Amino acid sequence: MGRSRSDLVVFIAKRLAQLVPVLLGVIVITFFFTHIAVSNPCAIWSGPKASPSTIAACVKNNHFNDSLPVQFYYYLAGLVSGNWGTDPLFHSPVLSVLLTDFPATLELVLAATFLMVFIGIPLGVVAAASNGRIADHLVRIFYLSGWATPTYIAGVVLAIGLGPLLGVSGGDFSTTSSPVPAITHMSVLDAIIALNPGATVDAIVHLILPAVALAFINMGIATRMTRTSMLEILPLEFVKTARMKGLGEFWVLYKHALRNALITTTTVLGVTAGTMVSGTVVIESVFVWPGLGRYAYEAITEYDFAGTIGVVIFFAIVVVAANLIADILYGVLDPRVEWR
Amino acid sequence: MVTAAAPATKAAARAGVAARPRGALKANVFLILRILAANPLTLVGFILVVLVSLTAFLIVAVPAVSLLAIGRSVSILPYPALDVGAFPIFQGPSLVHLFGTDQSGADVFSNVMAALPTDLGIGFAVAGVSLIIGSLLGLVAGFYDTPGTLSAGASVAILRVTDIFLSFPTLVLALAITAAWGRGEIQSELAVIVTWWPFYVRLTRGEVLSIKVQPYVIAARAAGVSESRILFRHVVRNLLEPLIVYFSLDVGTVIVTYSTISYVGVGVPPSIPEWGNLMFSYQDYLLSAPWTVLSVTAAIFITVLAFSLLGDGLRDILDPRSRRIMSTTAAATPAAERP
Amino acid sequence: MGETGCGKSTLGHSIPRLLPEPPAKVTSGKIVFQGTDLLKIPKWRMPGVRGTGIGMIFQEPINSLNPAYRVGDQIAESVRIRKLRERGIMPALKPDVKGFDYSKRELPKASEVVTGPFIPPNVTQTLKTRGPPMTKEIHQEVLDFLRLVRINDPERIVNLFPHELSGGMRQRIMIAMALSGKPALLIADEPTSALDVTIQAQVLTLMKELMEEVRTSIMFISHDLGVIAEMADDVGVMYAGHMVEFGPVAEIFESPRHPYTKALLRSIPNRYKDEGVLPSLSGSVPNLSKLPVGCTFNPRCPLARDVCRVKPGPPFALLPPGPAGGMHRTACFFPDEVPSMP
Repeated sequence: MGRSRSDLVVFIAKRLAQLVPVLLGVIVITFFFTHIAVSNPCAIWSGPKASPSTIAACVKNNHFNDSLPVQFYYYLAGLVSGNWGTDPLFHSPVLSVLLTDFPATLELVLAATFLMVFIGIPLGVVAAASNGRIADHLVRIFYLSGWATPTYIAGVVLAIGLGPLLGVSGGDFSTTSSPVPAITHMSVLDAIIALNPGATVDAIVHLILPAVALAFINMGIATRMTRTSMLEILPLEFVKTARMKGLGEFWVLYKHALRNALITTTTVLGVTAGTMVSGTVVIESVFVWPGLGRYAYEAITEYDFAGTIGVVIFFAIVVVAANLIADILYGVLDPRVEWR
Repeated sequence: MVTAAAPATKAAARAGVAARPRGALKANVFLILRILAANPLTLVGFILVVLVSLTAFLIVAVPAVSLLAIGRSVSILPYPALDVGAFPIFQGPSLVHLFGTDQSGADVFSNVMAALPTDLGIGFAVAGVSLIIGSLLGLVAGFYDTPGTLSAGASVAILRVTDIFLSFPTLVLALAITAAWGRGEIQSELAVIVTWWPFYVRLTRGEVLSIKVQPYVIAARAAGVSESRILFRHVVRNLLEPLIVYFSLDVGTVIVTYSTISYVGVGVPPSIPEWGNLMFSYQDYLLSAPWTVLSVTAAIFITVLAFSLLGDGLRDILDPRSRRIMSTTAAATPAAERP
Repeated sequence: MGETGCGKSTLGHSIPRLLPEPPAKVTSGKIVFQGTDLLKIPKWRMPGVRGTGIGMIFQEPINSLNPAYRVGDQIAESVRIRKLRERGIMPALKPDVKGFDYSKRELPKASEVVTGPFIPPNVTQTLKTRGPPMTKEIHQEVLDFLRLVRINDPERIVNLFPHELSGGMRQRIMIAMALSGKPALLIADEPTSALDVTIQAQVLTLMKELMEEVRTSIMFISHDLGVIAEMADDVGVMYAGHMVEFGPVAEIFESPRHPYTKALLRSIPNRYKDEGVLPSLSGSVPNLSKLPVGCTFNPRCPLARDVCRVKPGPPFALLPPGPAGGMHRTACFFPDEVPSMP
């Protein structure tokens, strides 16, 4: 094993292969947790006024009379052939809904990651560089407050408190009335593709508050991790070497010290993907953002099994992919790591 | 000068790494006090955690004890919680109603305080159970992984299952489970525990793997110390510090996550005062009656911040590496000048 | 020179103001470099002094190179900074700063290991002298400096990461990096103590040869008396954070005038005869935060009297010129009694 490009390809292929049993486990666990508890949701789905024949048809269609393993077989077979089930209310196919909703969530998560990286990490550097002084205490209070503020509170305060200031009324932050065609289903990207500066600004204005709310809790993790690893790195000799070259403090901190501190921070950022994705469930509900998180919430509360499992699979893929990206970044950042 | 660290402190810091000599206890207490003094935020966190826990205890204990002692339930809260129609609605904060009243006319202060034992209890319970399950599994997976043995098979199985649970977004799985199992305190707590223990497995296993290759473990093994004694004397002893730090941070995280589940509407029933529930019922009045939302926010914020500050500070106190850094900083005084 | 913990490194680090402030603080005195008191200039101007003014080599070659960058790039950074300063693009301590001129070599080259000429004339002439330095030009200089420290295949080495090199190799690269800023003063903080004995000898030989080749001032910090005797022109002896004696190397080693120096020198084993147990000094170095009153050496000094135990301690006084000439100072009330010290 080494660090050549082919080693990296082998590494990624191996990790993708490991993904299969993990995803299978995710499907099994979600399937059984949901199906054991509520054995026959047809009564709930069809509503109180439904005739017994409707319920019977529903039971038959969904194989609810079969044993759980048989039901699981039917579900898995459908999953492989691309039929991820249908939503019990509107009978829309789950997979296509997931695919259209996913870009909006991805946009939100990417925006939050952007904030986390470009605000959270520099704050950690500032704190470490002024260790024990006022700036350090302020940054610590900031990241601990991020940690101590549940996502829904940050969301509510920003949506209802600051939303009107940005001209977003009624707490609806989706840009569904946007004049640009939905190509990627990411509002900002669509507006840029359409070369419409007005729509771009509008999309960014709508994106900024949900992204800040989502980033707030994770920013703390990024800042804290950066601060901790910077504190370990700053006393090392190579930092002095960089200073002794005549480099200014900015370059010493950001080019030499942070480059090494990022190695630890990256692994933690991979872990925050889970928190981030969980956060979208709340944030998208609060901000009426048309993404997977809101869909997950609706699916869960409406006993939409197919939707629930589908969205959990999607989220699990996101989490695992984020960890894979973090691992690759880790290897790229640290020349001592070999791909294996 | 930096090099002027007192040798005594360095010895104390080193003693903290492995089995600690008895004589170092005094030096350690002294050091912890000095670190607390040098780090006011940790002290604040410590005091807040004690205050919050004490208040929660009194809110639960005083009515119970008074019921037994004088046959009448006395609460330390000014008014009953969630008392619909007790007062005029939306009164601003005053001396009678510290945090005002809400949309149902109940006293916000009493509601928020009545929720404290619930949330704190859930925080401790979920983090505690996860700690026990996760650290035991992590210990097994980390310590008994000699290839080819039966226990190694068990270790691999534990790790695979942990990996699967770690790929779930915590909140989504917890929501799915609670929704399926039905709304209720026990169900929702179990759901959070189901998603929570894997973090402890990973933390414990990582620590065990790094402790296992430490020179003092190898030396103990070379000296003929039995495996079980190594496990308890060296591995478990050194696991305690990271686990304590993580646990103290984690109580706050659980409170945040659990209140989110309640907020979304699948946690404890609305009849029980809980911060997530309260927040959900107050959120529409953020602009018209801001004291409602702010009171809940402040309660969560202070509680979670207390545990975060404590955990953050504990890490500095318990981690020998940062302890050394801190003691050198604290002891660094300019050397006497030459005349 | 001085024993471990006596403040040698702290002194070395405080000259380019490398100590973290706070907690470190210079409470009195001056650090004069090329006519400027470094304590008087604001902290943000200090980088202008480092690299091209003062260079430094550290003790641990394992940690002194950045693990994330290729060694060639790390040296190139240093070269680029100097070039930018020479051309007035980047601020330096003095606006008209010129890199220390290494080309005026009065002495012949001491080594025959050098494979290429140091700064080949044809390269220097064809390069532009204004504007930002070109990558190619910098790369060429990086290779030159690697050859200067006797690395025979610099083209291969520049592409390696620090963890792919041995300790001796890393220390050579460290030396090349420090020299590539062409500093007027090079502080070498125990550059060989972390190395194996054989590698130590190689690096010391290299440094000694370089001293004659590059003709820059070197402040060599060491606890190894043998190394000092071989490398130094002038020696300062430190004890418990204070300079106790300073003088030409011959005088310090032949006729020390401070009881501590004398005691230190007596502990060198004689190579040719077995003297039994080496004489050692009773007591230990005082805790630097609780220094004895008066002369810091008084608790361990066989010559100590009442005057040594009260404030103020002995002044760092100039002695009459000895046979070797030069400036000889000692911080002792009774320098004349030292030669006959028991």
